[in-house]
Amino acid sequence: MLRVENLVTAYGKIKALRGVTLEAREGEVTCLLGPNGAGKTTTMFSIAGILRPTSGDITLDGESLRGLGAARVVGKGVALVPENRLVFPQMTVSDNLHAGAFSRRDDRKRQRDMEKIYQRFPVLRERSRQPAGTLSGGEQQMLAIARALMARPRILLMDEPSIGLAPIIVAEIFRIIAEINREGVSILLVEQNARMALKFAHRLYLIQQGEITFSGTPDELGQDEVIQRSYLGG
Amino acid sequence: MTDFLQNCIDGVMIGSSYALLALGFTIIFGVMRRLNLSFGPTIMLGAFGGAWLYLHFNINPWLVLLACIVFTVAAGVYVERLCFNAIKRNVAITSMVSSFVIWMQLEEIAIHILPDRTSPFPPLFASLSFEAGPFYVRSEYLFMFAVAVAAVFAVERILHRTWFGLRLRAVAEDPRAAAYMGINAGRVSVYAFVLVSVLGAVAGYLILAADQQVTPFFGLWATFKGLIAMMLGGMGSLPGAIIGGLLLGVIETQSLWYFGNEYKDLAAYLVLFLMLIARPGGIMGQRLVERRRLAFRRV
Amino acid sequence: MDAYHVTVLSNIGMISLIALSAYLLLVCGEISFGQQAYFGIGAYISGIATAMWGWPLWSGMLAGGLIGASAAAFVGALTLRINGFYFSIATLAFAEMMRLLLYVFRYQVEIGGELVGPDGENGFHGIRWIFENDISTVEFMWIIYGVLASVVAGMMFMERSRLGRIFRMIGQDDMLARMQGVNVLLYKVLAALIAGFIAGVGGSLYAHSFTYIEPQFFNVMLGVHGLAYGLIGGLGVAFGPLVGVAIDIGFLEAIRWIQGYRMIAFGGLVAVMLIFWPRGIFDEKRWYSIRRCLRRMCGAETS
Repeated sequence: MLRVENLVTAYGKIKALRGVTLEAREGEVTCLLGPNGAGKTTTMFSIAGILRPTSGDITLDGESLRGLGAARVVGKGVALVPENRLVFPQMTVSDNLHAGAFSRRDDRKRQRDMEKIYQRFPVLRERSRQPAGTLSGGEQQMLAIARALMARPRILLMDEPSIGLAPIIVAEIFRIIAEINREGVSILLVEQNARMALKFAHRLYLIQQGEITFSGTPDELGQDEVIQRSYLGG
Repeated sequence: MTDFLQNCIDGVMIGSSYALLALGFTIIFGVMRRLNLSFGPTIMLGAFGGAWLYLHFNINPWLVLLACIVFTVAAGVYVERLCFNAIKRNVAITSMVSSFVIWMQLEEIAIHILPDRTSPFPPLFASLSFEAGPFYVRSEYLFMFAVAVAAVFAVERILHRTWFGLRLRAVAEDPRAAAYMGINAGRVSVYAFVLVSVLGAVAGYLILAADQQVTPFFGLWATFKGLIAMMLGGMGSLPGAIIGGLLLGVIETQSLWYFGNEYKDLAAYLVLFLMLIARPGGIMGQRLVERRRLAFRRV
Repeated sequence: MDAYHVTVLSNIGMISLIALSAYLLLVCGEISFGQQAYFGIGAYISGIATAMWGWPLWSGMLAGGLIGASAAAFVGALTLRINGFYFSIATLAFAEMMRLLLYVFRYQVEIGGELVGPDGENGFHGIRWIFENDISTVEFMWIIYGVLASVVAGMMFMERSRLGRIFRMIGQDDMLARMQGVNVLLYKVLAALIAGFIAGVGGSLYAHSFTYIEPQFFNVMLGVHGLAYGLIGGLGVAFGPLVGVAIDIGFLEAIRWIQGYRMIAFGGLVAVMLIFWPRGIFDEKRWYSIRRCLRRMCGAETS
């Protein structure tokens, strides 16, 4: 579904990505694993159109997304849940949700989607008129996911959803991710938390210093001893 | 052709005063990544203090210079405490706005010091002019040029050869890392403002002494000339400040000669405006691409 | 109401418009040091329209607003793409450039044996619309407040609309706004355009209220004040800038012992505000709690 081929993205003269190739298949959870500074967020930003890649191609069902710019990429059905800058802190929760749907103009359906989202995240309904900055970290993460869903994405890009959250909330977030995925939204996930990724992902990519060093299923990764030792500490 | 060259000489001479002002902007911007828009008004306030002493006690011009420096430093430290050190959130933008707002305060204080709009200002030496063939130069400007060149070398030495300079650069690079090493960022910032105020006061004194008068508009004038010169040369670059200042001087004298007095400042603003659009980093400077830097930091 | 109070109130109304235009850009996270340029453009254009071409005030005001808006959009489109710093400096440069241009701008025609029109540094005399139409200063004050009320109402309406939400999104985090599919540059230019229009309309009123304008009126200090009013009142709600103006011109002006030191007091006040409440008195959070309180009170009354 989403294919990234030979993607090179540079900050000035420093190449953060040196030819990344990966594929997120329809209906699957694809996970991009790697250490800090390996280029995970850069990959996400390049796909979402926030950074302009130097070369390579990004296609969604054969249609190129490269150079469209962030606004039009969202319109094509690719929504990003960024790491750490999650919500508009001074806007209310419901305004934040509306913000997610700005690429769409079908008002009536939007209202129905809001309803669905409040059912899935009851805590957001309780806080719907509160400024989003007053929510807890886990609630903000949920709001960010909910807001991305408001764009009715076909594929959801999630950048380290578990970062800085308590384990019990991480489990909750991943339960929600799995649920969203079961409803037919493909997911491309960036993680450092390898155990969670192994449990939920259908397909894994390892990225190191801007290059993909492994791709395969969690089982295949489990069999690779070198990776086992360096990434899973076992 | 002689006119053109004479204009260039005049431009370089006037431009050296702009270069001195631009140095002040560049140091604050280069090391603190913030813009101090009330730099000009602080110099103006210092000059008003000096002019007040001169008017009431008729003191020696050297003492006037000293008074200018003292008053400018006081005003500069005040601005630093209020608009730079005290602000913790969204520092770059808020400090710039705050220094813009404090401008009105400084201007009104100056008007209270000397209610006459225009006050006399004493020169250090009697004016001489030197002639060489068809060209001539006034001694004040020659002196200003020499001071500007000396100031660049002095600042360069301070930044790269002293402990203070090292600390300054450390804070500029990464304030938090500098704090871990035990550098007191607040104190370093005050010293930077003192340094810049001294430079600014000397520049202001020399410029006003050449005109032999001072008005409250000098604040606006100094901020704009310094800012334009810095942005022409490149934000945060020491050689850029000099090149930008001299270039601005030449542009102004040429447009003064060819289009008339009203168009002198207009040309300067036009050049700044076009520069901002076409080459925002200036001639020597790196492009200030904060957005990309931010993205980089997050990755 | 004596003449002095009418003048003060008229001033508050007109200056509020430049404060509102600065406020709109502040909401979008952009800082303009140069709204006085569009104020000046509006003043000159509308003055020319009514005094020299015999247009009615409304068309003159519209023309002033539209030309101000197009100038603002032009400056915005050229510089907003880079980043905030450059936009601020460019607005300042543009405003000074405009002011200096007004010093050399001469365009006069003879009306009734007298030269009328902008005359460079001598200013622009004879914008006599209020005399010709026999409008008293009190009546003109009501015109000013009518315009101000409709602008504030329009902005309050806008804040609740999709457009207002987009402006707030951009102001809080323009990167995140882009991730939601917002064309940030387009909306920022649009904000600059609307702000230019408001400033232009304010300038038109100013020209007709004073009947004489000169380039020096539209200097940096006007811009400093406009921005300060926007900041001190608060970025949470559109009447914030009006509160800012009222504090300075209304409140501080009224205190006897501050007279003559108003700019010192007000400048200090704003600088201290920026330290503790960088988004003003009625910022988003405080405005939110006020609204909640109001709702609770109203709810208590109805139940």
